Amino acid sequence: MKKIVEMALGVVTSVGGFLEIGSITTAAQAGALFGFRLTWAVALGGLCVMFLVEQSGRLAAVSRHTIPDAIRERFGLRYFLLLLVVIALVSLLVLSAEIGGVCVALEFVTGVGYRWWTPLVAVAVWLIIWKGTFSVIEQGVSALGLVTVCFVVGAWALHPRWAAVAAGLLPTRPDHDAARYWFIAVSILGASITPCLMFFYSSGAVEDEWDETYLNANRVIAAGGMGFGSVISAAVLVVAALVFLPRGVRVEHYAELAPLLTDAFGRWGVRLVAAALGVACLGAALEITLALAYMVAQGFGWNWSENQRPKAEARFSLTYTAVVALGALLIGVGPDPLKLTVSSMALTAATLPLAIVPFLFLMNDEHYVGRHVNGRLSNAVVLFVVALAFVLAVVTIPLQIFGGS
Amino acid sequence: MDLVRDCLDKQLVDRRGRKMGRVDGIVLAWEPGAQPRVVGIEVGAVTQAARLHPRLGAWLARFVRRRGRAQADPYRIPWAKVTPTGNDVTVGVEAERTPALAWERWLREHVIGRIPGA
Amino acid sequence: MARQEIHVELLLSRRVLALNGRPVGRLEEVRAELRRGECFVIEYLIGTYALFERLAAWRVGRELLKVFGARRRHGGYRVPWDKLDLSDPTRPRLRCPVTELAPLEEGEA
Repeated sequence: MKKIVEMALGVVTSVGGFLEIGSITTAAQAGALFGFRLTWAVALGGLCVMFLVEQSGRLAAVSRHTIPDAIRERFGLRYFLLLLVVIALVSLLVLSAEIGGVCVALEFVTGVGYRWWTPLVAVAVWLIIWKGTFSVIEQGVSALGLVTVCFVVGAWALHPRWAAVAAGLLPTRPDHDAARYWFIAVSILGASITPCLMFFYSSGAVEDEWDETYLNANRVIAAGGMGFGSVISAAVLVVAALVFLPRGVRVEHYAELAPLLTDAFGRWGVRLVAAALGVACLGAALEITLALAYMVAQGFGWNWSENQRPKAEARFSLTYTAVVALGALLIGVGPDPLKLTVSSMALTAATLPLAIVPFLFLMNDEHYVGRHVNGRLSNAVVLFVVALAFVLAVVTIPLQIFGGS
Repeated sequence: MDLVRDCLDKQLVDRRGRKMGRVDGIVLAWEPGAQPRVVGIEVGAVTQAARLHPRLGAWLARFVRRRGRAQADPYRIPWAKVTPTGNDVTVGVEAERTPALAWERWLREHVIGRIPGA
Repeated sequence: MARQEIHVELLLSRRVLALNGRPVGRLEEVRAELRRGECFVIEYLIGTYALFERLAAWRVGRELLKVFGARRRHGGYRVPWDKLDLSDPTRPRLRCPVTELAPLEEGEA
């Protein structure tokens, strides 16, 4: 019984982990510009991350080591530091986009400009981590995250031609704006396959003291969580295709996102968009902050746990404090949050080779996963993601230039 | 035992299970003509820096010496106290009293411990 | 000559030179054995196979080798501790001809 509750909770939590400002924005842009044509990217990203998350959880459950632990241990200090620097740079961008997302949601509801909310949101994020335990964060945010189901309800209420949506599951070449099309495809993949999510998931498994008896639960949580997350992302895409495409809204500013659900829910629409965006981004901001702090602490072998008092692990606490401060500073002084979001998603895709290649080795390493090494299918998926990652890494920068805006 | 595979970069855990850094370095020593043996492991920023670039390591070592902290960084643990246990390395010391946690203690006393709710 | 001290982590990936000055392969792993509470170095491992050994990556490595061309005849060597001259740790040198070295056998994992 306890396991079933934990599984349900885990699924909800990982939906929360999957869905954030990046996946919502990129899906909305895809729908607004290309109708249902980019649904395949959402599905592909979801499928890939499902496998990688399952592997992260499996490694953690069997070895009680996280992915960053194992990367430092097998690949050494230099590789770890390189990965840390790259991931930290990109994650800070993503974090500030998430903080920006919470602020934009507050702007939708109050009309007060998003920049004014930045300090308040940053302090709130920090306070939740400072005072909260891991399970408070996990369960609190995930319960709130259920509000994102409104996108699925919205998509249903608008009666799309489901056959056309399904046709989007097969990649096709665009009939216009090819560079833009591929840039959004890359951004969607970058928003789905995020190393931070996998690192966080493995740290969570260690925090929750998983062992080998959790392997089945892990499978259910990874598949269910990432599956539902993708369905919600796809719903955003569908709604945007139905609402924005006919009106020629291109989603180049967050303000344009507000009426996304108005056709489906009337005057509640804006409030629902704000709630969904705010909650999803808050959850993601917490997750990225913790993921980065975990990664630093694990790589250097410090004590780390969200369940300890800050005093018991001063270096870990200082790290997440600094991370939140930097993220807030960036959005406070920095660029348009939507541009920041989309660019950081594409950049995430460019960092993937460094983060994913180790999976190939670690998940076949009996010192870590014992007899639960990857099967053929899992290895094939990792190989596919590695190949995809190299392609993405190469095409991201040119696409950013030609298709970025 | 393979020193790199089974010891280097592994998590150091003290005798009470507290994490205290990673095996940043492994020191071999020998008398002329004799068989080399592992004399100890090292933890600390100086050892880490030397792995990134010799010049960075030398510079940091000078800096640490000038601050009078050469005894603490790198912190060398004699092999007699070290036990590799698969994916971790256990050390027969009390982490809290070692230089491995010097930074941790300083931050706790002067920064984090002073914030309300810590 | 006085007592010499070197760091294992600084030896990694260094090119090992043969007697004739030609590179033999990179030093990737140091094998040791516990004896009476002390830990003695018994041999140094050199070459691609040594890298697989260090990464515990035989399973993946074998597949990679299959994909990237034929199996090499010399995947790696085991150099006994007294056959490697480490007086200059940045330029480790063999003390014997390469032909006297034992090849590094494939790991079982």
